[in-house]
Amino acid sequence: MTSPLEARSLSLVREGNTVLDDVSFTVAQGEIFALLGGNGAGKSSTLLTFLGFLEPSGGDILVNGTSVGSDVALARSAIAYLPEAAALYGHMTAYENLDYFLDLADKLASQAEIDAALERVALLVEARSRRLQSYSKGMRQKTAIALALLRETPILLLDEPTSGLDPIAIDEFHDLVKALAEGGQTILMVTHDVYGACQVADRVGLLRRGKLVGSFAAENNKRINTEAVHAAFAEREAV
Amino acid sequence: MMLRNFAREIRFLSKDRGALFWLALSFILSVIAVSFGVTEVREQRETIANLIEEDAADRANALEGQEDWGSAAYYAFHFTYAPPSDFAFAAMGQRDSTPWKHRVRMLALEAQIHEADTRNADFGLVGRFDFAFLAASVVPLLLILLLYDLRASERSASRHDFLVATAGSSLSLWFPRALVRVAGLALLLLVPLWVASLIAGASGMVTLQATGIVVGALAVWWLIVELVSRIKASPSVLLTSLIGLWLALAIVVPALSKAVIETNNPIPDGGEILLLQRETVNDAWDLPKEATMKPFIETHPEWREYAEIEEGFEWKWYYAFQQVGDQKAAPLVEQYREARLRRDRQAGIAALLSPTSFVERAFEKLAGTDAVSMIAYEDEVRDFHAELRAFHYPLMFPEKDYDSGLLAELPLYKPES
Ligand SMILES: Nc1ncnc2c1ncn2[C@@H]1O[C@H](COP(=O)(O)OP(=O)(O)OP(=O)(O)O)[C@@H](O)[C@H]1O
Ligand SMILES: [Mg+2]
Repeated sequence: MTSPLEARSLSLVREGNTVLDDVSFTVAQGEIFALLGGNGAGKSSTLLTFLGFLEPSGGDILVNGTSVGSDVALARSAIAYLPEAAALYGHMTAYENLDYFLDLADKLASQAEIDAALERVALLVEARSRRLQSYSKGMRQKTAIALALLRETPILLLDEPTSGLDPIAIDEFHDLVKALAEGGQTILMVTHDVYGACQVADRVGLLRRGKLVGSFAAENNKRINTEAVHAAFAEREAV
Repeated sequence: MMLRNFAREIRFLSKDRGALFWLALSFILSVIAVSFGVTEVREQRETIANLIEEDAADRANALEGQEDWGSAAYYAFHFTYAPPSDFAFAAMGQRDSTPWKHRVRMLALEAQIHEADTRNADFGLVGRFDFAFLAASVVPLLLILLLYDLRASERSASRHDFLVATAGSSLSLWFPRALVRVAGLALLLLVPLWVASLIAGASGMVTLQATGIVVGALAVWWLIVELVSRIKASPSVLLTSLIGLWLALAIVVPALSKAVIETNNPIPDGGEILLLQRETVNDAWDLPKEATMKPFIETHPEWREYAEIEEGFEWKWYYAFQQVGDQKAAPLVEQYREARLRRDRQAGIAALLSPTSFVERAFEKLAGTDAVSMIAYEDEVRDFHAELRAFHYPLMFPEKDYDSGLLAELPLYKPES
């Protein structure tokens, strides 16, 4: 069976700098894979490569077994992407934003489904008809997560999904992600949040300066391979 | 599918205050431009109607009590005019800088035509604010403001990749987003034009052509904006580049080509024609009469047997030297006419370099306010004046008895268009 997401000896050069160097991993269907790494390690770049915004300078990147380069639109249609900075429109309400982006994704959703999604991310009812410019960072993040849920795509790419969320919201979010994976969605998330990643992910990959230096199963979501994690972050200062 | 994209982008546009502002401004400017034009045309029509009325009365007055053909011809003025076309409200064009009415009489004509040249005020660099000016010069700027940062603003809000990733392809996002703005702009500009066309009674065909010109110009500028905004630069860099391009295409290229064309095709001043003719006519008083009659007979051999002029004043000698004045001025007049036509032809070629000039010229042509139409009016005046002469000479030269009843057959000026 082909994996929904696969990086094969992926290398990436951005403006002359090697950002990813011979990175290989797969994410199986229904699996949560967390990519951990320090600032500038190449986490966001990895996601952008899966979305076809960056072209590999070596190796290949596949979505559902098809090279992204050969059919970008197909790859994108299988993916809901939560960007690093929640990039919804500030001058529109949550409802208007969801309406716009769902339509853009060619996805129909009823008002009840939209409300259910907003309920799942715990966005206050009173806030839903307010413009996003009056939202806190976490509220914007929740709206963006609701959008990703509503897309109902087989694959989710999440870039720092819990940044800006309070501890309770983070817990709720992790439960949500696990439920989605149980429902069959494949999830690749990138984060600096070591403990969070180990709590939610099935497997964790460690990215250090563009190289995948290790990956391990986060067994029972408890044991953390501290040595490897620290090694992954060790060269942060040098970046 | 495409329809759904448009519906979505229309909803999106309806929440974009910046874009709505520019669109509303376009509509207001179009209404203003069109009303200026309609008012101007109405005033010109009223002026013409009044002058036609006065013309008949004045002439009747002047002819009353005349006792010979010479004085009758001398005192009777005839009003000639080029009426504004039904579409002239959209482009006043050369009507602003070239006379569209002359009161003429049997005297030497060219001085009467070119007298007005020295009196006509110039509108300067900018020209009149009519629809053609709006469509040619201002609209590209509005289009730039509406489109320049479609992508760049999303990029600087770091929303670009998210949008495209969600849309799957650029085509279902940027194209409808831009098209909705361009179509909105076109509609808001054109609705006032269509309404005014209806009110003014312009032909549907002309309005349709004008619509085509506006849509074509928008498409060209859209293409320009589209090409430039593919550069991954910040919104302000894009705006600066596009405004620079607009300055070049809408202002600098037209001004430069005008300057080059004018230097390469010098035009004798209308005043020179006036002077030459006045001198010829004035000199004639002191010259021997044959000096006038000889060149006159050369062009009007039919009056040879009546060309013997006695001592003293005779009307037929007087009108002969008026005619000779025109003959003397003819080469200069022809030069003037040809040079203007040549300039116009070259301007037509140069207009291919500037969408602004192209639109302006296309509108002037549709409105009958281009250089060719104005020269055609001058030629109509010449034809009419020739008719006047053809009426008077057979009465004057054979020295027919004065009969005021015949004056009812005086030619009346009728504009061709
Ligand atoms: N737009 C860009 N153009 C060129 N190079 C870039 C660009 N964005 C990031 N980079 C470079 O790519 C490398 C990886 O960046 P990336 O954003 O993928 O890191 P990250 O792991 O997501 O970091 P962070 O934790 O800070 O989000 C960095 O060295 C960075 O300098
Ligand atoms: Mg990042």
